[in-house]
Amino acid sequence: MRLFTHNMLSSNIKGVANGFPLRIEVDQVVEKQVDFNPDFLKNMFPKLEWKALVDAARTMGYTELPEEADSSMLESEEFLRKLHHALLELHLEEGALVCPETGRKFPVNKGIPNMLLHEDEV
Amino acid sequence: MVFCSPRLYRFTEATWEAFSLPVFVFRGVCHPGIFKPMRGIKVKGLSSLRTPVSDGESHVQLSIPLVEEETGSSSSVQSTPEIEKNYVHRVYDAIAPHFSSTRFAKWPKVATFLNSLPSGSLVLDAGCGNGKYLGFNPDCTFVGCDISEPLIKICADRGHEALVADAVNLPYRTGFGDAAISIAVLHHLSTENRRKRAINELVRAVKKGGLILITVWAVEQEDQSLVTKWTPLNQKYVDEWIGPGSPRIRSPSPFTLESIPETENNSKEHEKDTESLNHMFKGTMPLASKDDSSVQNQQEYFVPWHLPYHRAEVSGASACALANGLAKKDDNKGAVVYNRYYHVFSEGELERLVSGMNNAVVVDRFFDKSNWCIILQKTL
Repeated sequence: MRLFTHNMLSSNIKGVANGFPLRIEVDQVVEKQVDFNPDFLKNMFPKLEWKALVDAARTMGYTELPEEADSSMLESEEFLRKLHHALLELHLEEGALVCPETGRKFPVNKGIPNMLLHEDEV
Repeated sequence: MVFCSPRLYRFTEATWEAFSLPVFVFRGVCHPGIFKPMRGIKVKGLSSLRTPVSDGESHVQLSIPLVEEETGSSSSVQSTPEIEKNYVHRVYDAIAPHFSSTRFAKWPKVATFLNSLPSGSLVLDAGCGNGKYLGFNPDCTFVGCDISEPLIKICADRGHEALVADAVNLPYRTGFGDAAISIAVLHHLSTENRRKRAINELVRAVKKGGLILITVWAVEQEDQSLVTKWTPLNQKYVDEWIGPGSPRIRSPSPFTLESIPETENNSKEHEKDTESLNHMFKGTMPLASKDDSSVQNQQEYFVPWHLPYHRAEVSGASACALANGLAKKDDNKGAVVYNRYYHVFSEGELERLVSGMNNAVVVDRFFDKSNWCIILQKTL
């Protein structure tokens, strides 16, 4: 699971008012290089919950993102490279995603989050 | 697809036992790969729609109000009916590697849609199956989800971003995606409310202005020889699915699934069906006459999947399925035969499902390769 996915995922357990962001429990992080696509970064930026991304990246061991960001920073190649790395190259390979309200853990194994709910959660 | 729906059940021992079902399964996305290639057929569109490229379906879910009416609450619509657990999810889980090996051809209409998306788009594939469309447009970023963990593992092994989730209850923030696709997923959902819910989830997940492509198997199959191999579902099956312990059961069923031959019943309907289709594909009038209700009404089927013995032996799932009556052997074909549940869509049906939505409009619709398809755009 990469961090742009984390920025999209939300706990959808019945009764949970705000299931975002899911807290990340890290057992293993891997990094994989992918092609740089500024269009994707610029498109994603307005939709990102920045603080959630910064916290998630930090949890994954990457601390280069600024605490605050605004769209003017998209003009900076250096910023885009950092954003690219954070969103697309860090993978939570093993660990869990934790619902911020209920504490329910969604396991992440071999890079795959399992977001299925139990019957009493829907 | 599908994501479809059942949730964790199959992952817990308790549930397994509770269902005493086995292990196999199925999931959502199946394609006409098993069909012969067919030409795209243009049919008449519904006049009320904006873009009459082709048309839609109509269906009338008549045969069996499976589990639907009784699931009134919004939460229950998200609970997976037994028929989907047993005849969709478990089947796809059991046949995943074999299924995946047959799913590689990209459907041109889907390819065209994906290639039309702006560079940098985030595309959500809900019910992605083996992920054959993930990464299809290299300028876009894809996230796939499916209810079948074995299929999602195949996606992940191929390097795709994928997660296990239910298309009826997407674990996504609202408006995050730029576009979404649901390819051959909705026909595995057994109630109209669940089909609507899955569409609502797709719309919710994309941004304002975002496009959503939905394709489903059509009642109007171009290759009628295939349909003759399907098992029309009737009340006996309904009772069977609902099974003991369900509040919905009407009477204990004396039948077992194996007691009902695949070829049984509805032969007359098949004849009429064929006749009607011949008419349809030769002419320009796709609309079946209203009195042809017997044809129109048969929309619930079991569609067989033949898992060759040599593949079935790979996993113990098939042994379980056989033991539980969810699969049977066909020695002539050397395969374990699974039944997958399908609700095939009639003309106009997809449009009807979205007709009440106030935040999306149909911007295109067409019939192609035995599928009804619509493209929605989120407006609010």
